[in-house]
Amino acid sequence: MARMDLRNIAKRYGPVEVMRNIDLAIEDGEFIVLVGPSGCGKSTLLRMIAGLEPISEGEFLIDGQRMNEVAPRDRDIAMVFQSYALYPHMDVARNMGFSMEIRGADAGEKQSKVAEAARTLGLTALTKRLPKALSGGQRQRVAMGRAIVRDPKAFLFDEPLSNLDAALRVEMRLEIARLHQRLKATMVYVTHDQVEALTLADRIVVLDSGNIQQVGTPLELYERPANRFVAQFIGSPTMNVLDVTPAEGGITLRNGTTIGFSPAVPAAIPAVAQLGIRPEHLDIADPDGASMVGVADVVEHLGSDTNIYVQVEGIGPLMLRQHGHLPLRPNERIGLTIPADRMHLFDAEGIALR
Amino acid sequence: MSRKAPGEIRARRSFYWRYVLEPYFYLAPAILLIAGVMVVPLVIGISYSFQSVRLLRPGGGFVGLENYLDLWSDRKFWIALENTFVWTIGSISFQFLLGLGLALLLNTRFHGKRLIQSLVFLPWAVPTFLSALAWAWLFNPTIGPLPHWLTAMGILGEPQNILGDPELAIWGPIVANIWFGIPFFAITLLAALQSIPAELYEAAEIDGASPWQRFTKITLPFLAPMIAITVMLRTIWIANFADLIFVMTGGGPANSTQILSTYIFTTAFKKLDFGYASAIAVALLILLLIYAAILLVLRRRLVKI
Ligand SMILES: Nc1ncnc2c1ncn2[C@@H]1O[C@H](COP(=O)(O)OP(=O)(O)O)[C@@H](O)[C@H]1O
Ligand SMILES: [Mg+2]
Repeated sequence: MARMDLRNIAKRYGPVEVMRNIDLAIEDGEFIVLVGPSGCGKSTLLRMIAGLEPISEGEFLIDGQRMNEVAPRDRDIAMVFQSYALYPHMDVARNMGFSMEIRGADAGEKQSKVAEAARTLGLTALTKRLPKALSGGQRQRVAMGRAIVRDPKAFLFDEPLSNLDAALRVEMRLEIARLHQRLKATMVYVTHDQVEALTLADRIVVLDSGNIQQVGTPLELYERPANRFVAQFIGSPTMNVLDVTPAEGGITLRNGTTIGFSPAVPAAIPAVAQLGIRPEHLDIADPDGASMVGVADVVEHLGSDTNIYVQVEGIGPLMLRQHGHLPLRPNERIGLTIPADRMHLFDAEGIALR
Repeated sequence: MSRKAPGEIRARRSFYWRYVLEPYFYLAPAILLIAGVMVVPLVIGISYSFQSVRLLRPGGGFVGLENYLDLWSDRKFWIALENTFVWTIGSISFQFLLGLGLALLLNTRFHGKRLIQSLVFLPWAVPTFLSALAWAWLFNPTIGPLPHWLTAMGILGEPQNILGDPELAIWGPIVANIWFGIPFFAITLLAALQSIPAELYEAAEIDGASPWQRFTKITLPFLAPMIAITVMLRTIWIANFADLIFVMTGGGPANSTQILSTYIFTTAFKKLDFGYASAIAVALLILLLIYAAILLVLRRRLVKI
């Protein structure tokens, strides 16, 4: 159980600044997910929390105590590595009990703790095996078991599922969610996969090129993205973005249609602005009188949903997702309308207008 | 139904041909080559040990175990055997420990690492004969500094000739050999160290391991296969390595630095008694085979990666 505070943290490798202005308060027992594209600094931030990477600037505290100079082994934090980092010369039981072996813990206590962790992770039959004789999913479990046995203040995960196949990933995701519910420990989880982020997190931290873009619950990020980056990163399929110009009481699309706001009108819309609309929020309408008209050039039938790629006249390609099966033929002409309450507006820098 | 199915005999014969004989056919060139360059000279060498082959007294012929019986009662042989142990163990243990230390130092990050790394090879670039001479001079109390330094440090009572003292002489070539052998261990162990994934150290660090625990629980197990093989090879090599001793002391004074390989050399090429020299060589060979077997068993027991 631990509360963690990151205060104005920056990270430099030589002259290169890879992270800056990281301000984040992680509550006790919270599940925080750091998400962002590859190379945005997720691992670096996690490694600074673990103590594996020195903090160039700012302050990191656990339960109010400054940790910058504290060695990893004194921080009482467990970490699950992307490559698992299992000790190849130790069997599963010894891998899991390594932290207790190091502490010189009582053999009986160690055995019972390891056995308990092995049981919850379904590893009991494998405790005598070496890591090289395990499958990817089993190794992943051992890595988690090693963290659980520690009973640490906080758990750190660095893309723990990215080496697993899709089915196993879903299974392990559930397992991690259960683990968090059972242990109620503080967890910081790094991933580049927004689905993992949305399903696991209490709060998500979206990072891009070393900056925090937004911090919020999954729903907040989905419904009120702070900027275009977050809007397009969170949600699948990706949000459509269209250039628009301000108009009396609304905005004008590039095809000349004006859409009125109802009820709230943002303070002022700059001359250069963009409209974001999620594929699942576009509505199909009769081509006569719709705000946009286009041709459906590709239709994907997923069963539960239908994805439609539309070439909109005067605007360009848009994507639309409808629930259920839609009996559309390719190259059929359809009309689209944009619900006013589902629009996201961004200024020229991509900052959301509210 | 005792009638054989048609073609069964042919099938069996072709089975033997395909799986039992045919592979040897393909291996034959390699086997012949190995036999030609290794087995034949070895057998001839061993056969000498059962003959009297003295160039000064021609016409010996087969003498059975006579050479070995002589060996059993040869005081010089037992002295040389004991010296071989001192020489080999003294050399290998310091070479290994200092080489490991050097490898650990070279595995850290520091300024001028490249230069140091290539300098470490230097002892190997120098011909053995030259380094033996250089060390002999270093130990010489008239022109070399070592006896004076040792005296100043209080290790020696007076700056005497170490190589001339039967009690101490063997440590002269051993020191030279340690200097000569450190690079081998440093370089091979450094290569092994660099193959250890850095994440394991990080995981161990997070698990609470101290630097010493990381060394004993991660580094050493990873190095074990390399240690086993290099120690074995170097031990055999050192036991057979006569050059340094031959140049520095020539086996003296009073046989105090005579090891089996120098004894073989002097017996064969000074006394020209090849039969007896072969018998000593066979004894050394057997000892080394036993040693290698023990080490291989240990390796299989201890090494898990
Ligand atoms: N040791 C290093 N030296 C220099 N730059 C580094 C180092 N480690 C990481 N970086 C840089 O820091 C940035 C963030 O890396 P990282 O945290 O690994 O990204 P990711 O979000 O994919 O985990 C990247 O641009 C990377 O190139
Ligand atoms: Mg990463």
